Amino acid sequence: MRVRLLQTAVLLLLGAAFLWAWQRRGLPFLSFEEDNPAPIPPDAGEKTEFYFARLRYPSVRYGGYWGFRGAWSTDYPKADRQFLQGVRRLTRIHVRSVEEVVDLDTDEIFNYPWVYAVEVGHWNLSDAQAAKLREYLLRGGFLMVDDFHGTWEWDIFMASLNRVFPDRPVVDVPDKDAIFHVLYDLDERFQVPGIIMFSTGLTYEQDGIHPAWKAVYDDRGRIMVAICHNMDLGDAWEWADLPQYPERYASLAYRIGINYIIYAMTH
Amino acid sequence: MFEFLFKYPPTVFARGDYVFLSPWPVWWLGALLTLVSVLLAGTILHRLRRSSGGKAGWRPVVIWLLQSALAALLLLLLWRPAVSVATLKPQQNVVAVLIDDSRSMSVRENGRTRREEVVAALNSGTLAALREKFQVRLYRFGRDLERIERLDQLTASIPATHIGAALKQIVTESSGVPIGAVLLASDGSDNSGGVDLETLSEIRRSRIPVHTLGVGRERMERDLELVDAVLPARTLADSRLSAQVTFRQRGYAGQKAQLVVKEAGKILASQQLTLGRDGVPQTEVVAFNAGVAGAKDLEIAISPLEGEENPLNNAVTRLVNVEPSRRRILYMEGEPRWEMKFLRRAAEEDRNLELVSILRTTQNKIYRQGIADPKELEAGFPSRPEELFAFHGLILGAVEVSYFTPAQQELIRQFVDRRGGGLLFLGGRTALADGGYGASVLAELLPVTLPARKGTFHRDRAAVELTPQGRDSLICRLEDDPDRNVQRWKKLPALADYQEVGAPKAGAVVLAEWNSGRQRLPLLVTQNYGRGRTAVFATGGSWRWQMLQDHTDRTHEMFWQQLLRWLATDSPGPVRLSTPHPVISDTARVPLRVEARDKSFAPVSDATVVAHVSGPGGVGGEIELAPSSLEPGVYSGEWLAEKPGTYLAEVAVRRGSEELGRDTLVFRREDGMAENFRLEQNRELLERIASETGGRYYRPRDLAKLPGEISFSEAGITTREPRDLWDMPAVFLLLIVLRTAEWFLRRKWGTV
Repeated sequence: MRVRLLQTAVLLLLGAAFLWAWQRRGLPFLSFEEDNPAPIPPDAGEKTEFYFARLRYPSVRYGGYWGFRGAWSTDYPKADRQFLQGVRRLTRIHVRSVEEVVDLDTDEIFNYPWVYAVEVGHWNLSDAQAAKLREYLLRGGFLMVDDFHGTWEWDIFMASLNRVFPDRPVVDVPDKDAIFHVLYDLDERFQVPGIIMFSTGLTYEQDGIHPAWKAVYDDRGRIMVAICHNMDLGDAWEWADLPQYPERYASLAYRIGINYIIYAMTH
Repeated sequence: MFEFLFKYPPTVFARGDYVFLSPWPVWWLGALLTLVSVLLAGTILHRLRRSSGGKAGWRPVVIWLLQSALAALLLLLLWRPAVSVATLKPQQNVVAVLIDDSRSMSVRENGRTRREEVVAALNSGTLAALREKFQVRLYRFGRDLERIERLDQLTASIPATHIGAALKQIVTESSGVPIGAVLLASDGSDNSGGVDLETLSEIRRSRIPVHTLGVGRERMERDLELVDAVLPARTLADSRLSAQVTFRQRGYAGQKAQLVVKEAGKILASQQLTLGRDGVPQTEVVAFNAGVAGAKDLEIAISPLEGEENPLNNAVTRLVNVEPSRRRILYMEGEPRWEMKFLRRAAEEDRNLELVSILRTTQNKIYRQGIADPKELEAGFPSRPEELFAFHGLILGAVEVSYFTPAQQELIRQFVDRRGGGLLFLGGRTALADGGYGASVLAELLPVTLPARKGTFHRDRAAVELTPQGRDSLICRLEDDPDRNVQRWKKLPALADYQEVGAPKAGAVVLAEWNSGRQRLPLLVTQNYGRGRTAVFATGGSWRWQMLQDHTDRTHEMFWQQLLRWLATDSPGPVRLSTPHPVISDTARVPLRVEARDKSFAPVSDATVVAHVSGPGGVGGEIELAPSSLEPGVYSGEWLAEKPGTYLAEVAVRRGSEELGRDTLVFRREDGMAENFRLEQNRELLERIASETGGRYYRPRDLAKLPGEISFSEAGITTREPRDLWDMPAVFLLLIVLRTAEWFLRRKWGTV
């Protein structure tokens, strides 16, 4: 009897420790979702104005939503944290040093008016999730999507996006749009390649030869969904500290990301 | 009874001087009084020692007092006390009888009208008795005074009552006619704003006593009267307006009534009320949309109740100038924040607001939005008055006070104080106390006293609650119905953050508080400062009201649009034309006032100020307004609105060849409406006129006493004669009482 009680107590303690660690994001054995783990900064728990919210979505390629690692976590969390260092250094935004993972199954996403989604060439939103994302965007939320390439991934992306906005077109963002000038003037933009460039020698993937900056606008001409197609800004953030990764790509990726955040906070 | 005991009416004692008619010096009286009192005391003491050895307690003192009083009274009578009073000489004086002939005198009560009641009271012998002693002149008055020969010339049809003006005219007339007294017969329903102190002083100087005859019921049994409706004279198109409606009722306590606001027959707002206690003024606030630009002729009414005695006093009209102009607001933000994004979005949906923002994106760069041209605010926050004063409102976000130079801080102060702009402080990690504002010149502008410490900004959720003042404020009005509005505020998502701002200053109004669960502290506080107004909204987290509610919900937009309109609507332009009452009743005089300022809002006193006025039926003209010697930059004049109707005035201010600005104003003259209000007898006014002038207030049934009392006056042709007091019955009664009391006490206590 005593042994069973002891076992139960130990199990409860372990459970509590597990939950605590989960919330604190402090244990490496819990990082099975992490594509590229990164150290947790000491100020990770700071309450700030801006949180880099990363969207966790169900993925076509990998199947299960709560699977071992979905496409949503590509480059996660190193890209996020490394990018946030740059945002802190280059702007006056009060930023938390670590990202926040959000999904479309609860209302928690509404507390984060900025959300970043990666590899959306593999996302597969349910109708309920699409409806929630539409509501989020109509309330004033901002979605930046990145790191998907070529026609095949575009079609997958659009399949879900059409469930979000069946009636809104995706259009090219003109050079004069405020999003390219809100902090940095980004008239000279080029394709930002992923780390795959080192193995293929190409700056593009699949048939995504030409980078495209597209968007879905609201009724007042403000961007709701900023689409970075045929480029991999996430990789550029993730590998900005790699000496072999060209500085010009990392630099542009940071500038685009920062401009998009400031645009989202001003429009 | 009074006259039986004291021989003369009270007026004699009130107006007369007291004298002794005996030739003996008065000091003899004093000396004799003392001597007699001492002798009486000595006699009583002597007797006491003989009878009881001097130990008899307080009883001998009472006997001594009664004996002394009796002796004093007898001595006083020997000196022949008298009252000297001025009396009108018979047949040489005029008594002016002023009778209210306004429409309110046609109100029928107890089977006859008020006019008939006056006529009956005068014809029941009073007029005849007056005519025996005096020349009696009859007058009727409404707006003006007019002599009549007979009482049947009264019509009770004049659409206004100006008692003060009538009395002034009679005083003027008294310079050529020996008017000894005035009888004013009225229900007291004056609608020229009462009788002012100047008029009363003038009557007092003329020494003419004004006796008043009050007619009409002093209290309606079943009636509701709309006392006043307060609205701003100007507002912006599509603004939410509120009318503060005050009314009073009798006989309907606890019942429901419908308060309605109409424009040209179209209902703009309707609100159900529960009527409060009988006779107690009740104030309700009704909100509605001002609509498109133009002069709005609004009728504010409470639907007539069943069995109301006077349904015509249930509605008033008000004029509001809805202006098409846009208000520009400058928003200075120290760091990118969600609050800015959503605040901008709310302002963008309001076509009457133009939000220009400066955002510090990095340490050295700013991002401007809403600018009119690329050069505007290129150097950042304005440093010159004409640049900053071009805005109507200013918002300071999370930007530390040290970002502004001392000159810019002073400029911000002048923006509110001199320019009359609105200044809003937002909460933030580098705002308010944490931004160093408490120790700056801008602390004076804040409606709160900031805590003298840092760490006042907290990124924790905070629930919001309206204060009673907030419930009535247009800034916080999300629903027209006050109760539904309170409920809607209770359901709002919590704010993302809050800031401690300290206690509100005297004169500041707390509209909303944040509730941490343990305490409630100011969140939204407003105050007037100088010519402008300031507010603090101690959070940077109201964006959650947008993100945490359905996208069709307008709470966030409405709140911010209303707050921004409050901030900027009343910020005047360089030229401001105004009149105290845009709707005038039964008078032609319309005072016009212009405040003229230059681009830096310094008063301009050497300008030419001309107002062009056009009115109904093509009447119109222009007048030049004269500068005030007391107030720099202020010009005034008076327009005579000869006909009832709506008038448009446009003023142009020029200095040399330069035009400093223009402004327009709409006003209206309406006749005949005022007589529907205040139909209860205003006895207080009639009594005040009588007491201030040495007259007396009479009810119709007491009027027969007037001929006997009216003679005592110092106006007109008078004679002053002393009247003996020694033979008043009251004196003999007192003598008997004193003597009887002494006898009774002596018998009761035994011989002293």
